[in-house]
Amino acid sequence: MKQFLIFVLLSVSINVSAQELFVVTEPASNMPTGSIGLRLAQSLMKEKYKPGNNYHVMPEIMWGANKNLMLHVAAFISNRNKNLITEGGSIYAKYRFLSKDDLHQHFRMAAFGRVSLNNSDIHQEEINTMGHNSGFETGIVATQLINRIAISTSSSFEKATNNTETYKFPASQSNSATNYTLSFGRLMYPNKYKSYKQTNINLMMEFMGQTLNRNGKSFLDIVPSFQFIINSQARIDVAYVKEIYSNMLRTAPNGLYLKLEYSFFNVTK
Amino acid sequence: MKNIITLIIIGLFTIEANAQISKAELVATGLTCSMCSNAINKQFKAMPEVENVTTDLNSNTFTINLKKGNLLSPKSFKDKVEKAGFFVGSLILTIPFDNIKAGDNLSYNSKEGSYIFVDTKPQTLRGEVKVQVLDKGFLTQKEYKKLQKTFSKYPSYAANNNKNFHLKTL
Repeated sequence: MKQFLIFVLLSVSINVSAQELFVVTEPASNMPTGSIGLRLAQSLMKEKYKPGNNYHVMPEIMWGANKNLMLHVAAFISNRNKNLITEGGSIYAKYRFLSKDDLHQHFRMAAFGRVSLNNSDIHQEEINTMGHNSGFETGIVATQLINRIAISTSSSFEKATNNTETYKFPASQSNSATNYTLSFGRLMYPNKYKSYKQTNINLMMEFMGQTLNRNGKSFLDIVPSFQFIINSQARIDVAYVKEIYSNMLRTAPNGLYLKLEYSFFNVTK
Repeated sequence: MKNIITLIIIGLFTIEANAQISKAELVATGLTCSMCSNAINKQFKAMPEVENVTTDLNSNTFTINLKKGNLLSPKSFKDKVEKAGFFVGSLILTIPFDNIKAGDNLSYNSKEGSYIFVDTKPQTLRGEVKVQVLDKGFLTQKEYKKLQKTFSKYPSYAANNNKNFHLKTL
């Protein structure tokens, strides 16, 4: 497994990799000031301990409040209880505090935080405030872009609280975790730009890991993805999430991810 | 104190000129993707003073033709690029001059700000002339660091006050 991981990391850093509009992680850069992005993230994860799939829909509105601050509001909808039910929502903020830019490259750092509410049952040890747990997450992300390649890494602290009075966070589980991500992205097409209308294709490879703070249990996922940027304004991301290591209880770690996004520029001042 | 006196002297001898920018050629830094470039493009296009914008996506160069009678200063372009989340790597302005005396440390005022010529031979500017803005925020961070040393002889350059712009004729 370790050799496989090294192989993947090497091949990514040498051959593939993309831009920084990552699929499952956020880069340190923000949206333009005054623009509004609409995002529809969908995930179809295979249930491990029962037949069927766990389907999540996450509509999200994103706003570039100023050149350094970006805000997101998201809703969590899932079929956890057979029918599609809105289970909660979240507010997310990201503040860019460092920018070192040069021609065709930049290094940026940002701090981010999210507060989430969720009323579904708690059914796994993994802590995920994006659609499973009530709680909060706060962390730091650093992104380096050089020509066609972007590399980004983040570290965060995530804490889960009771979802509802009925669905309390189990006292036997660790209610906090440390998360790490490492993302590579590479612009594959076009080789030379001709116009804004040209479709861009990015190839990405992302790694997401979590360690539960109380008992040290952890997991690591690998997420390869394709991204199409249409008309320099719309995004279609298709990703496959695969668990490569875990010693904690996760009910549906593997599956597909589809993300649609559209940006409206200069909506607010 | 010396700086203040120099600024006052510059102010006393400064000519009031009617020299509006007719074209701006701007290279943006910190980006390579077309969606990022489009964010800057849309910022410029939303400016009422802008006639049209063309972009070279490979070099991230924006050529912005401006309407007559605009009162834009170099800062207007910098603000727009930074609002989009990026920075200015170079800004070259085309200005139709009407008999302006240029030369080292000579300056003129227009409604939008004060312009001071640096690293420029004595000459009289008539008609459309290209000038590069050499202030902080209009160059890459590396280039600015270099110029900071070279231009220490210009007291207004170090003052960096967003209203004095330092131009070099090209």
